[in-house]
Amino acid sequence: MRFTLAWASLRRHGTRTLLAILGVAVAAAMLLDMVMMSTGMRESFRELLLSRGYQLRLAPKGTLPFDTDATMESASRITATLRTNPSIVTVSAVLGGTIHVPTGNRVVTSAALGVDPAVQGDYELLSGRDPVGSNSIAANDEFLAATGATTGDTLDVATGYDPQLRTYAGSMRLVLTGRVRFLYGAANQLATVMRLETLQKMGGADRTDDASLFMIRVRTDAEVEAARAWVELNIPDVSAISTATALAEVDKRLRYFRQLAVILGTVSLFVGFLLVTTLVTVSVNERIGEIAVMRALGVSKKHVVQQIVIEGVAISLAGAIGGLALGLVTAKYLNGILSSFPGLPSAIDFFLFQPKSAWTALGLLTISGIAAGVYPSFRAASLPIATTLREDAIA
Amino acid sequence: MIVLLFTALGLVQQPAPRTIAIDERLAADAGISIGDRVIVSTRPNAKGGDTVVVSGIVKRGADPSEIARSEYKIRMHLDQLQSLAGYGDRVDRFAVATRDKAATESALAAINAAAFGFEAHRSRDIAVGTSKTFQVVSRFHKAIGLITIVASAIFLLCVMLLKVEERRRDVAALRLMGISRTTVVKAVVAEAALLALVGSALGIGIGWAASQFINWYYQGVYRTPLHFSVITADIVTLAVTLSLVLGIGAGLLASLRLVRTPPLALFGR
Amino acid sequence: MTLAREKAVFSWAGYDDEAPPPVVEARDLARDYPFGAERVHALRGVTFAITEGEYIAIAGPSGCGKSTLLNLIGVIDHPTRGEVCIRGQNVGGMRDREATAFRLRNIGFVFQRFYLMPTLSARENVELPMAEAGIARVERAARARELLSYVGLEARERHRPAQLSGGEQQRVAIARALANRPAILLADEPTGELDAKTGAEIIGLFGRLNADGTTVIVVTHDEDLASSAHRKIHMRDGVIVPG
Repeated sequence: MRFTLAWASLRRHGTRTLLAILGVAVAAAMLLDMVMMSTGMRESFRELLLSRGYQLRLAPKGTLPFDTDATMESASRITATLRTNPSIVTVSAVLGGTIHVPTGNRVVTSAALGVDPAVQGDYELLSGRDPVGSNSIAANDEFLAATGATTGDTLDVATGYDPQLRTYAGSMRLVLTGRVRFLYGAANQLATVMRLETLQKMGGADRTDDASLFMIRVRTDAEVEAARAWVELNIPDVSAISTATALAEVDKRLRYFRQLAVILGTVSLFVGFLLVTTLVTVSVNERIGEIAVMRALGVSKKHVVQQIVIEGVAISLAGAIGGLALGLVTAKYLNGILSSFPGLPSAIDFFLFQPKSAWTALGLLTISGIAAGVYPSFRAASLPIATTLREDAIA
Repeated sequence: MIVLLFTALGLVQQPAPRTIAIDERLAADAGISIGDRVIVSTRPNAKGGDTVVVSGIVKRGADPSEIARSEYKIRMHLDQLQSLAGYGDRVDRFAVATRDKAATESALAAINAAAFGFEAHRSRDIAVGTSKTFQVVSRFHKAIGLITIVASAIFLLCVMLLKVEERRRDVAALRLMGISRTTVVKAVVAEAALLALVGSALGIGIGWAASQFINWYYQGVYRTPLHFSVITADIVTLAVTLSLVLGIGAGLLASLRLVRTPPLALFGR
Repeated sequence: MTLAREKAVFSWAGYDDEAPPPVVEARDLARDYPFGAERVHALRGVTFAITEGEYIAIAGPSGCGKSTLLNLIGVIDHPTRGEVCIRGQNVGGMRDREATAFRLRNIGFVFQRFYLMPTLSARENVELPMAEAGIARVERAARARELLSYVGLEARERHRPAQLSGGEQQRVAIARALANRPAILLADEPTGELDAKTGAEIIGLFGRLNADGTTVIVVTHDEDLASSAHRKIHMRDGVIVPG
């Protein structure tokens, strides 16, 4: 009977109920998005970092991978030192740089990575072959679109440009062997990959043994933290960054978004709560006489409260379910905007859907729906019956 | 002015005649004061480097492009940096001051026509190009703002409907007394408009206070003089217009529905 | 529906033709209300007894304390002094939960303004107290139909209050009041909102209910209703006065 009464009461003011559900749906969508954002980007970045199984990254002392143009000298020495540690199973040295590719009457400038294709963890091959040869290069779709090049083409590639003389330095002719997708590439970024030695050679005498980054895979039964400490002790010129350290840095940089998520999520929850409270309070006030009569007939205070709480929860739940769908659509839209955030891989999802996010949003809304109904209903059910009936009759 | 990423720092043994200025963030984090001697180098832990004396601490500019990065900045003599970085006599850019907008345009055209090996840009264009972080954040905020406006609109509409619905018995009494439908509608709409107006004024006040807090908080977090939240006339106009339109619209809809219902039915008879 | 069957339905156990026990007993019953800094003495010490099967009308001018007395008998208010016993149980000092359960099982209320739940049908309104008492759905639906049939509304069970006339709404309210076979039926100005003809129908219904064994106590200004009762309790200024 409590459900019948609650349902009937909601239907009694259909427009009002519908508007409240809509309002809660928008608030729920926002809440879901914010819950997704507060945990999603961290989780997404973590998945990305571990996607190729490299648990440690080495960068020039005091920097993060590719955060500056700084490089580490004596890459071969560092690699050799790393290989002396039995818990380290794979070392992948990477050099970053910029290349210029003249095409017709213009020059396309692109990022370039020098890697060892056998152990690389920076890209996935979409078609063609890895750039295993010293005269090979592979590129992403953005680069191919900008240059109009296709697999098999030969490109004139340079690493330096002298604007005074309008001449290129470090020129080589490289054959495009494959189409790749870079795991850590920024949105719309033109990027290429070649053998480490090739890029080092093109960089001139200064960079013949340089690397920007080392990626290290530690044995599964070994302690990553112990390996990290060993690296920092034995190679003082570098910063060894574990996944946790990288995540902490991302957390720091994206603190604004997490705080925004918390603030907007709280505001959304509060708006939803306020909406349901307003509606339930008005609804209770309108029915104060009916409630007094129910109490006079012997309906317990608990059951009156339950009936009204059911109304609040029903609005919250209906809104939350609508909000879930709406939230996923808006999350996709908002993710599209933030994927072009400078300095972050476009593969990071700011809004990563996890069932936990949906349950959290649903749980919070249900609690707010219950909270919204409890006070007004308890107050109404606690009013002195005789006085309430007399006042209602006078009104 | 030339800006260099500060990559290494340490105490020195030998005196150095040249001076540098560092930004307040670096001074605070590294505990450096004016008069301290430090070594600057372009490579971490390099054996060489120049020993310099810190002669000034510079306040950071409001640069959106730096917001997501926790970089430090130092300013040093051009020739010293050229020597340190192995740049020879090269510079990254020249800053050219012009008298007015027209002079800027003519200088831009003249330099680009005559220059060999470099290009002139307006400072404004460069600022736009380097503030991508904020452009993204701004787009994100606009999208969030749109969702917020939709939620607020529904909320406002709901509250207004409830407020008018609360007046059922009053409206019924007025109608039974012989007050015309038009008068009733006008009265209800006027009340709704007043409510929306008072609500808007209150909202602007809360918004202003929130904006002050946001600026205070994030300026502290990111250690920048940037203004993160600004309340403009356009924003105030949008908020007031939206709330008035919704308030009046909801008042009108609900009051029309009320006056069309027979007064006795409004009394629940 | 036969009279004998109705007796079985509406009378309560322990009935003794020889010496009917008082179903309601009030002793020195008083009720004050605060009114600003002063106190209003709505009831100033009322003593009376009502035996089972009686049909009582409480009459008197407005503000004489009739409704206050009815509220105290109905256990929706507490006396300031004195005691009120229903079926031998002192109900004046009951706590809220106890009083609620007592009302559900022992008291039937009929109000001047009917107070049906507007969102429920006639049958659902009658079922409401039974649902609260935990009676199974099938059983309560059957009894609700039976009661609606008793008040002559078997064809209107699916109608909502707004689709019923005033008299019909009051008859649904009476059926609802009888749902849990109460010891007493209390009615506060039950004809107050009805025209003379409909009021007469309701008066007839109360007579029939009483004849079928229900103890009825009505508070009324309506002379016709008061005259139909077996006994009148006249009140003035919070006390019972001779009629």
